[in-house]
Amino acid sequence: MRFARSRRSEALIPTASMADIAFLLIIFFMVTTVHEVDRTSVNLPVAKIREEAEKGAAVVVMTRDPVGELVYKFSDGENMSAQVGGPEDVYLEASRLTYADPQKQFVLKADGSIHFEKVDELLDRMRKGNVQNVLLLTQQQTEGG
Amino acid sequence: MPMKLAKKLQSAEIPTASMADIAFLLIIFFMVTAVFSATKGLEFKLPKQEQQQESESEEATFIKVATDGSVTVDCRPMDPSEILDYLEPKLARNPEKPVILYTDPYAQYQAMISVYDVLGSAEQERGFKVKNISVPTQTEVAEYIELFGFNPFESQCEG
Repeated sequence: MRFARSRRSEALIPTASMADIAFLLIIFFMVTTVHEVDRTSVNLPVAKIREEAEKGAAVVVMTRDPVGELVYKFSDGENMSAQVGGPEDVYLEASRLTYADPQKQFVLKADGSIHFEKVDELLDRMRKGNVQNVLLLTQQQTEGG
Repeated sequence: MPMKLAKKLQSAEIPTASMADIAFLLIIFFMVTAVFSATKGLEFKLPKQEQQQESESEEATFIKVATDGSVTVDCRPMDPSEILDYLEPKLARNPEKPVILYTDPYAQYQAMISVYDVLGSAEQERGFKVKNISVPTQTEVAEYIELFGFNPFESQCEG
């Protein structure tokens, strides 16, 4: 008795839907991508309660450089953040912004390990610049930690 | 006799062979440029210049964060998780009761945030709000020292 020879099927990877998947991913990234005005890596303090920052809020960054010196950066919420000299410069920039919009929100992105004295000094200068609405940026507290 | 040239009809097609390549190139671009953005935090209201908060220390609850991050509430050492238990009956009697949060200048910013976070979580976790939180700045402390000759926040629990 002769058995019919089994036909060998060609090894193919189905790529017809590849472009669809790719475009789906592109749309996802386009929708979720936000225009960030500051990309400084800061070890933020940890907190449970977290409110969303307003769109277009000004950003004040306070962190340490590798040498341990304090570094201050400022962004008006539209342009990328740039390094400033210190709290006095933040005061000048903040005054300019609050003159145009007294309710403007300022996001403070400060390193959690910095002495409170320095944060306090900055907040004091911001208050002198008529800032009222501040958001202390934090990172999410995870369960058990 | 006229010569006839055979016309080859070309089918109208959009070349899509490189579509997937372009799409993946765009994906890689978005993946590389995407950053994990942190846009959440704790709301903190700064008082207006002319309207400095005056909290009478006799009536207020006084929370002190020491240099090592340890917390005392009305001069009693307390774990931050116990603060709301302590405040709840006081705020039930007087919801407007001021809470002074004084942080030692050499304490870490994280230590202050931990206590501020606990006060902010009262509404969500216990159903009452700590409405009147006052965080004295070093300028205010200096003004007090000039006025009284000592730091009232440091000497609050002495004697």
